[in-house]
Amino acid sequence: MEVGGPGLPPEPGVLVFSMRQALATSKETKEHTMHFAKPTTAHAAASLALASFGLMTAAAVSAKEVTVWAWDPNFNIAIMKDAAARYTAKHPDATFKIVDMSKADLEQKLQTTLASGVTKSLPDIVLVEDYNAQKYLRSFPTSFEPMSGKVDYAGFAKYKVDLMTVNGKVYGLPFDSGVTGMYYRKDLLAKAGFSEKDMENITWDRYIEIGTKVMAVTGKKMLGIDPNDNGLIRVMMQSAGRWYFDKDGKLDIKGNPALKAAMEVQGKLFKSGIVKPVTNWAEYVGAVNKGDVASITTGVWITGAVKSEKSQAGLWAVAPTPSLNVPGAVHASNLGGSSWYVLSGGKEKAMAVDFLNEIFAKDTDFYQSILISRGAVGTLMSSRAGKAYSDADLFFGGAQVWLRFSDWLAKVPSVNYGMFTYEGDAAVSAQLPALNQGVPVDQLLDKIQAQLAAQIK
Amino acid sequence: MSFEKIRIASIYLFLWVMAFLSIFPFLWMLISATNESNDITKGKLSFGNAMVANYQKFAALFDVGLVFWNSAKIAIVGSVLTLLVSSLAGYGFEVFKSPTRERFYQGILVSMMIPFATLMIPLFILLASFDMLDTHMAVILPTIASAYMVFYFRQNTKAFPPELRDAARVDGLKEWQIFLFVYLPVMRSTYAAAFIIVFMATWNSFLWPLIVLQSVELKTITLVLSSLGSSYTPDFGVIMVATIMATIPTLAVFFAMQRQFVEGMLGSVK
Amino acid sequence: MRQASRPGYRIFYDINGWAFVSVALLLIGTFMVYPIIQSLWMSFHAGQGTMVRFIGLGNVERLTSDPMFLRALTNTFIFLVVQVPIMIVLALVLASCLNMPNLRFRGLLRTAIFLPCVTSLVAYSVLFKSMFSYDGLVNSVLLQLAIIDQPVPWLTDPFWARVVVIAAITWRWTGYNMIFYLAAMQNVDKSIYEAARIDGISATRRFLSITIPVLKPVILFTTVTSTIGTLQMFDEAMNITGGGPADSTLTLSLYIYNLSFKFVPNFGYAATVSYVIVVLVAILAFFQFYVAREKD
Repeated sequence: MEVGGPGLPPEPGVLVFSMRQALATSKETKEHTMHFAKPTTAHAAASLALASFGLMTAAAVSAKEVTVWAWDPNFNIAIMKDAAARYTAKHPDATFKIVDMSKADLEQKLQTTLASGVTKSLPDIVLVEDYNAQKYLRSFPTSFEPMSGKVDYAGFAKYKVDLMTVNGKVYGLPFDSGVTGMYYRKDLLAKAGFSEKDMENITWDRYIEIGTKVMAVTGKKMLGIDPNDNGLIRVMMQSAGRWYFDKDGKLDIKGNPALKAAMEVQGKLFKSGIVKPVTNWAEYVGAVNKGDVASITTGVWITGAVKSEKSQAGLWAVAPTPSLNVPGAVHASNLGGSSWYVLSGGKEKAMAVDFLNEIFAKDTDFYQSILISRGAVGTLMSSRAGKAYSDADLFFGGAQVWLRFSDWLAKVPSVNYGMFTYEGDAAVSAQLPALNQGVPVDQLLDKIQAQLAAQIK
Repeated sequence: MSFEKIRIASIYLFLWVMAFLSIFPFLWMLISATNESNDITKGKLSFGNAMVANYQKFAALFDVGLVFWNSAKIAIVGSVLTLLVSSLAGYGFEVFKSPTRERFYQGILVSMMIPFATLMIPLFILLASFDMLDTHMAVILPTIASAYMVFYFRQNTKAFPPELRDAARVDGLKEWQIFLFVYLPVMRSTYAAAFIIVFMATWNSFLWPLIVLQSVELKTITLVLSSLGSSYTPDFGVIMVATIMATIPTLAVFFAMQRQFVEGMLGSVK
Repeated sequence: MRQASRPGYRIFYDINGWAFVSVALLLIGTFMVYPIIQSLWMSFHAGQGTMVRFIGLGNVERLTSDPMFLRALTNTFIFLVVQVPIMIVLALVLASCLNMPNLRFRGLLRTAIFLPCVTSLVAYSVLFKSMFSYDGLVNSVLLQLAIIDQPVPWLTDPFWARVVVIAAITWRWTGYNMIFYLAAMQNVDKSIYEAARIDGISATRRFLSITIPVLKPVILFTTVTSTIGTLQMFDEAMNITGGGPADSTLTLSLYIYNLSFKFVPNFGYAATVSYVIVVLVAILAFFQFYVAREKD
């Protein structure tokens, strides 16, 4: 990890102990030539010539190049390329350079660059996860370009606009939604005696009852959870309109009934034995594709991964997210999702704003296209009137799943993610092993409160 | 069957088991590169026939030749410069001892205690002020003067016979000529060992290039590997092919210079 | 140190001395010392991102009441106390086995055991991560051999996650340290061992009373390098476990990284935590200085 030392532990203070001078042998015997697997210059030149990567559209005469940073080549990057192609079709003077890196890499690079105050190496447009929006906007207040007045935000889901608003100014261009739903295997549930109607608008307690029966009859677990990931707890908490912080950004842990209930549900899920523990994302998705679990409750962006297992076509259905037994709980929530932001220091920021506005805020046809090709549900409410949204999906037995998701999208409770969602996650995750061992939730909430209070200074 | 024979047999067994454990992940990497992603996650232990398909998927995502060339360029230029600058300094500190320079030397050693995380942001700002961000030079420059390597060469210079230097002085050679024509050839294996260490480190470096390099055309193999691994739906077949490609050059350098490496290591701990 | 014997020699000597070290000093000054000073200055500030204010020693105060920092410190010490001895002992045993006279396949075995440290960190993290996943290779092999009847939650259980990280570091660095010992052992006169063997001294005794004393400086050297490496451990924790589960593998360096890039960026506090590592290393260096002085 170090710049200076060559990949091994550096070594101070060795000078202080006089190493025994062993016999010096400076005799060199055989000649040795060095061999390198070095590409020839011709090869290198050829590679350089090939370096276009197909990322840039045909170069125009007075090309203005808009640079975009994003992650996930199968989703965000692919969608961005589609959007860029649509824009350059109408604006031949625009070219796009879309840089793909992992989410962690991007966040780290963005934070380093913003902190250094160097704007030169920043892109014009960057993808930011919704949980991070307030953090960036408040930590680096002059770095992002406000777009209120230039973009009509009335057409987007309200929760999404709220999270990118600071002091009355709106900064980002809302992109995809993490609206949640429950995907389940109709065939396995039918075996256990449950119809599709039985799965509509249930509570988590009912879900556990159903899961226990499914396991008894089919031997399959009901769902996969990474025991150290608090994603599901976040989903449950937001479905009741609460978060780690209240509307004013004050800590909301100890007296937060939604968080308490969510943690209790997660504890019960593990205790009931209907959970298959998974280690990482690949296993989480793998449990679904391999047919190890009968359901998965998460953001709509999982649709593509569920459908990737062609052999399960027709076996799946979707239902609303189960709800908590607390006042104000609804059958809709959100997990993840992200939006596009324009950087104030970008060279082509005017064009970047225009591009986002033209494609992501107005082009409903574009939203149909990315829904079909990538399963991306946008947050522009008018796009649901398009044809793709009302299409029946044979994979889900001919149900209009996209319409259902966009119905739920309108019901997602708006919460204040604040600046410290990651710190909140870390504090909750630290207590998860104890939760799974059955420690009372009230004790855990005290610890979470203490850790967070120490961190949000 | 004597006790001695049992002892020797158990030593052999222990060594072979350790060797197997050391090598096994490499084998698994090779096996996995020929399998499809979902077989890999299940832990399939037999060779498949997806190798070519995996490579093609990889080549479709990245310009493999260019990525390789970027890594090689940074590693080779970086290693050569590091060896030159650090060995000059190590030689200078040892041969021309003086109390003032000794203070500087101790300062260099102390500077190695600082974790890189501390330096990252100030370094980034510094290179930005040189207008060097997003260049390979920015990746190489901070690594050239390696405190560890200065220390390593100083330790090894202790084993360099003073008689050789004195004889060269009597022959009328200048100090830089002595370094170039006497010291360098005699210390060949020391350099070889250092080259291996530095080459591996620069070839495998990750965090610093990650922060400095923005353009796709400049990315190195480790950056590519990391972004493959962090996709929402990682294709382990492709990842394993990339892993093999990231490992081959360091293995090749090591095998080509193994003997000198062991000899060079001998010097640094005397 | 040779004394100047004639006038002018001193000057000539110094000019050469500075000429040889100047490039390195210039570069280290620019790319090490200057950033160090700047980060020290940063450690007296707090705030979010670019919104910082001077707070003097406030960051040091914050350390004492920060549960996450205390966990990172504890973990770093656990790794230090458990992993370094295991690795050093293992490397010593391996080296003396490989040093056995008339050993067949010596070169092959040595190379095989050394090979792990050639791998790229990102590459080997990917390998370990997939091998130790819940349905992964390690569990399926152990299940087939009937060593376990339930998959071991390698990366999801705090205890096992530490085991995996320790195993990974040990896998990567044992062979590296072994090479140092082997190199030093080759300087030991074979006839000493032979004489001891003829006198009927057992192998274990030979190892303890001949090998260990001869290798003392080298063992000290590798212990110190490994200690400092462990105190700064970042890559493995970052790439294999991400510091989890429940912060059980969170190291100080990873906490610094999180404070800079994952949480609300507080570079001043991150710099303060990094100086904790500096202080720990300095204490160890002093301790080592003390031990070494007793030797002379």
